[in-house]
Amino acid sequence: MNRSMEAHAFLVKKGFKVKSYGTGEKVKLPGISADRPNCYEFGVPYDDIYNDLLEKDKAYYTQNGLLHMLDRNRRIKPYPEKFQVSAERFDVIITCEERVYDQVIEWFGSRRSVYNQPVHVINLDIQDNHEEATIGAFLISDMVTKMAQSDDLDNDIDELLHDFEAKCQRPILNCIMFY
Amino acid sequence: MASKYHQSAQANAQAQLVQWINDAGLSEGTKRANLLRKIMEVMIHQAPQTIPMYIENVLSFVSDKSTDVKKQVVAFIEELSKQFPEYLPKIIGQLQMLVIDSVIAVQKRAIQAASIAYRNVLIWLCKSNAEIQEMQHVWEHLNKLKLLILNMIDSENEGIRTHSIKFLEEVVLLQSSSEDTEDEFSLDKLPAHLPFLKRHALEEEADGEFALDKLPAHLPFLKRHALEEEAEHIFQLLLKFHNSQHISSVNLMACMTTLCLLAKLRPKFMPRVVQALGDLHTTLPPTLSQSQVNSVRKHLKMLLLNLIKHPSSNDMLPNLTQLLADIGMTPQEINKAVPKDRRNKRVNEIKGDDNPAKRFRIDSPQSNSQGSDSNSRSEFNYEDDSSQHSISISKASVTEDSIFDGLNNIDCVVNLIMSTLQNHLPTTMPSNFVTAYKPIPNSGTKTQKKSLAKMILALIKDEPMPTTPTLTPNPTLTPTPTVNPTPIQPPLLSDTTTKIPLLRDDDEKVTLKNAVAKLQESAKAEREMESAVSKLMEETRQEHIKAEERKTKEKEKLVAPPTPSIPKLKQKVKLLKLQELTRPIPKDIKEKLMLQAVERILRAEQDCIIGGAEQIRSKFITIFASSYTSDIRELVLNYILEDPVKRIDLALSWLYEEYSIMQGFNRHPLTLKNINDKYDQNYNQLLCSLITQVCERGDPLMENSKDLLMRKIYLESPVVTEEAIDYLKHLVSEEKMALLALDLLEELCLMRPPRAHKYVASLVTHVLSDNEEIREVALKSSLKVYKNSTDSARRVIEKSALLHLGFITLSTPPEIISPQHARVWTDEQYKMCLNLVIALFPEKEGKYLILEVARVYGSAGAEAKRCVLRALEGPVRAAATPPTAQATPPAPPTLRPAFRLLLDECPRGAETLLTRFVHILTEKSPPTPELVSKVRELYATRVSDVRFLIPVLTGLTKKEILAALPKLIKLNPAVVREVFNKLLGLQNSPDEEPPVSPQDLLVELHLIDPSKADLKYIIKATAICFAEKNTYTQDVLSAVLQRLAEEREIPVLMMRSVLQALTLHPTLAPLATHILSLLIEKEVWRHKVAWEGWVKCCERLQALGSSGVVPLLAALPPPALASLPASLQQLAMEPQAGNPIEPLPPGMD
Repeated sequence: MNRSMEAHAFLVKKGFKVKSYGTGEKVKLPGISADRPNCYEFGVPYDDIYNDLLEKDKAYYTQNGLLHMLDRNRRIKPYPEKFQVSAERFDVIITCEERVYDQVIEWFGSRRSVYNQPVHVINLDIQDNHEEATIGAFLISDMVTKMAQSDDLDNDIDELLHDFEAKCQRPILNCIMFY
Repeated sequence: MASKYHQSAQANAQAQLVQWINDAGLSEGTKRANLLRKIMEVMIHQAPQTIPMYIENVLSFVSDKSTDVKKQVVAFIEELSKQFPEYLPKIIGQLQMLVIDSVIAVQKRAIQAASIAYRNVLIWLCKSNAEIQEMQHVWEHLNKLKLLILNMIDSENEGIRTHSIKFLEEVVLLQSSSEDTEDEFSLDKLPAHLPFLKRHALEEEADGEFALDKLPAHLPFLKRHALEEEAEHIFQLLLKFHNSQHISSVNLMACMTTLCLLAKLRPKFMPRVVQALGDLHTTLPPTLSQSQVNSVRKHLKMLLLNLIKHPSSNDMLPNLTQLLADIGMTPQEINKAVPKDRRNKRVNEIKGDDNPAKRFRIDSPQSNSQGSDSNSRSEFNYEDDSSQHSISISKASVTEDSIFDGLNNIDCVVNLIMSTLQNHLPTTMPSNFVTAYKPIPNSGTKTQKKSLAKMILALIKDEPMPTTPTLTPNPTLTPTPTVNPTPIQPPLLSDTTTKIPLLRDDDEKVTLKNAVAKLQESAKAEREMESAVSKLMEETRQEHIKAEERKTKEKEKLVAPPTPSIPKLKQKVKLLKLQELTRPIPKDIKEKLMLQAVERILRAEQDCIIGGAEQIRSKFITIFASSYTSDIRELVLNYILEDPVKRIDLALSWLYEEYSIMQGFNRHPLTLKNINDKYDQNYNQLLCSLITQVCERGDPLMENSKDLLMRKIYLESPVVTEEAIDYLKHLVSEEKMALLALDLLEELCLMRPPRAHKYVASLVTHVLSDNEEIREVALKSSLKVYKNSTDSARRVIEKSALLHLGFITLSTPPEIISPQHARVWTDEQYKMCLNLVIALFPEKEGKYLILEVARVYGSAGAEAKRCVLRALEGPVRAAATPPTAQATPPAPPTLRPAFRLLLDECPRGAETLLTRFVHILTEKSPPTPELVSKVRELYATRVSDVRFLIPVLTGLTKKEILAALPKLIKLNPAVVREVFNKLLGLQNSPDEEPPVSPQDLLVELHLIDPSKADLKYIIKATAICFAEKNTYTQDVLSAVLQRLAEEREIPVLMMRSVLQALTLHPTLAPLATHILSLLIEKEVWRHKVAWEGWVKCCERLQALGSSGVVPLLAALPPPALASLPASLQQLAMEPQAGNPIEPLPPGMD
């Protein structure tokens, strides 16, 4: 909700066709204490989450930036979506955390491909905080721009990611899956 | 009504369709693609009846220019094959064309569609009742298509490879039977807690739009066996591709996924897939980068976990757990991943892993099959008796695992060794054993046992010679009681036959089912062996041998020469790929070869000239030198230095190559990346080593052409780096090279203007050199650069000029100038500091420097001031003389801007300098009005010294001059004389009018108030005037005297002057007489001084014999007479005759 949406906003501005998803069971946001996160179902509008948090503890959630983040998110799309129920087919899927990458791969691994359409799944580790999310969005944008410039991504992806990895100094995981 | 509506809607759709098709024909590119999309949508989903009408229209776009359009056509074909397979005969040909399209994107899309079409074709073949010819036509096309794509797995393009893998996966799936999965477990029994087992997915698979056993019998061209065989073949191909060394990471992962999918859906592939994954884990392709390796490992782990969860992996569970443990998972993690119903059983095994004596495998396929399957057991029993016969049969069932198990049994191993020792040891040690044998480092470990098992297996399977002893371990496998520690099973396995598939327990069911599967498989294998298709077996076997041999060799670490193994050409679709056939040459050998190659190229100089390949050769050399190891660099460098004069061009082109790499004009050679991190330093290094080598090698050959070479290198290389400049600087300090170095520096500045400011600094520093020659040259060069180079270079020079200038204000000379301890300024040193600025100052651009000079002068010490004045004199004088003076005199003399500025700003303390300047300026020509006014202004405000006015005196007004006169005459006599010279215009050209006439001057002198200036000065001043006899002629003097006489007050010195005039010009006597008489009227006797003079004058006149004296005396009143000296009194007493006053001498009135 933080990293992906930051990147989502950034990429949309650059004119990419992009969507963002969560992969967990629920939408989880940090709560007042670590053991009591705020959980919402996918599909609950950002507006509602925003108002809910506003009611719960306005000062706290303003201070930790959650409200600001939600405010940004609701201007990008109405509600959080879950990846596993999406019927769309993408060319590239970018994850910001290895756990999420695993989930995406797992999901692909659990189903038969119908269309045999390849999709590149790429993981770029980004810490879950505001600053890193912003940096991450830049990195992702850089990477996606490079991809967009390639005439034949399937052929170039190995080298492209290799170069990019050297540039951004972060480990990258990637593989190809099929829809 | 409804139908009517329907009809009209149909009609509309059709009309729309026609419209769009027409539009599509007219439009281009994306627009056409969009129209096509709409057309397709309507045709397939709304108005299928129009398909036969318009299908050709759409298909005709197959050769369109636009990629998008072609992709759209592919989509259309794909959709048609799914929805309306009856059109397959029409579209299959087009698809085939698209698969070999020239555009890669289209190709990929077409391959993707092909996999879907393939499935649809098979379904259509099963269900349709179309004509056989048509079907055959489609099938043939499809086969061609398949072949095409099969070949694409070796495509250059990774994306196409990926797609073809996926296609092949589909083919294998379609063409292999899923029967063993089907009867092993039914869908209803699917565990609900396993989310990855999507029931509908399996249903689809099972109900199968298509399954091999549904193949219709009436189609002669469709043979189940052939298809299965082909699938097996393709599967092997995939395996091979998967294990190839040059696969890209993405394709590797795609391939892994594919294999795992196959393993899950077609369990008969499971063991081989697990084996392949295991091999992969130990030998990852060397081309992968670290993160790719990570990705692949991760993927592998994910796939293995997926496999382990899959029911059909039951048999392979130990292998899988072992693999997972190898990857780095803890037993706990693995345990968690294993489905519950199988877990308990496994725990023991995992724990027991490290005990080699214990049976590792509990229900491995072999042990099970032997336990349950009488057929295979009989085989082994048979072997016990006479193994000779059994080999051919046992081959099918003996596996590496079974041998491995045997090796875990100590008795068995002991037996084996004993029998080998007794029967099969040669009497002497073979020589190759002596050389090749190395102690086995990991003996007794599991891996070693495994590899040993592998080797034995290879031996058993491939060598027809009697190998009975090696088979002895096998019998130990048979006793069922040792197979399974779980108490329930042994009786069940041995008693219950496979005919009764009903079982009590889930666990048992699985094991038993596996046994059945195995049985079926081995039966099948036998069938196949017997059948005519044994060719295929032969082939796989051959390959297997090869693979095993290779592995064995690797295991034994024999130094095998890189012999390319040539794969069988029999295989339908195998392409020879160099990468796969050859082994990479070791790095050091590669480098050595490379070095030798370069050496040969270098040696071929003469040949290349003869053959006209000179340029290509030098291009080669430069590329080699710049892109490879330092050894090659050194080689080439030495080659160049052997005969630098001839090879300097080569050196330069190498330099250019390095430069373009450094600047990124050329792509940076990959080969360099690992060798030298600081590859951007290569250029600099090369340049510097060239220069230093040329300079310092001391080669007599080079000595003569050093000059030329250095010049060439410095002036023609693409950029001169700082180090190179530093070296040049250093050269200046070397006696022999100094002048060359300076010269080079100068040329660099002039020839490379963009960087001149960098080079010039090195040049300018030498202006302070203690070697006079160098100093001179440096100065001259700096000046030249200053005149001709860029602004920035100029600024650098100016800056250092000012720096040097600044030194003179210091109390002791800075170290640069006098490194000795005795730090005292000498004139010479002052001059050195001034050299540059003085040299620059006359230049047009440097004029403002004078201001700086003045500023520094102001704050400098007296000694320094003196030096500055002296040093500046010459240049200022030169500057002051307008060069145009001779050519065009009418040009109004204007003040040079620098001086103007200086006068405007006159820095504190620089007045003396200024005075000196003004002097020089006015030496040759009269001061310009501008100068005069500036000076006047300064005099009024800043400089109180009257001397300042002297140079411009002639430009001042009369009044001003007269005002300054009292001060002027007080100055040192020499100066006063000069002043008068100026005032009287003695130095000027005759046609110029002096501002004050001599007459006025003298008159004024007399009129000076004695309180302002001592009389003494005035006297001296008048004396000067009188001395100028050419100016103060008789006429002038008389006029002066006359005017003085007319003054109301008698000037103090008047009588003195009269007397002097009289002494100089006795002919003035009448005038004197007249004056005296005038004075009488003024009652001269009342002024003591004047009266004395008057009297003296009278006496002089008298002495001259003038006749006018007597009347004068007579005119005196009595009181005055009384004060006369006696002689005159006497004269006054004498009676006078005639006129009392003599007439004025001629010309005096």
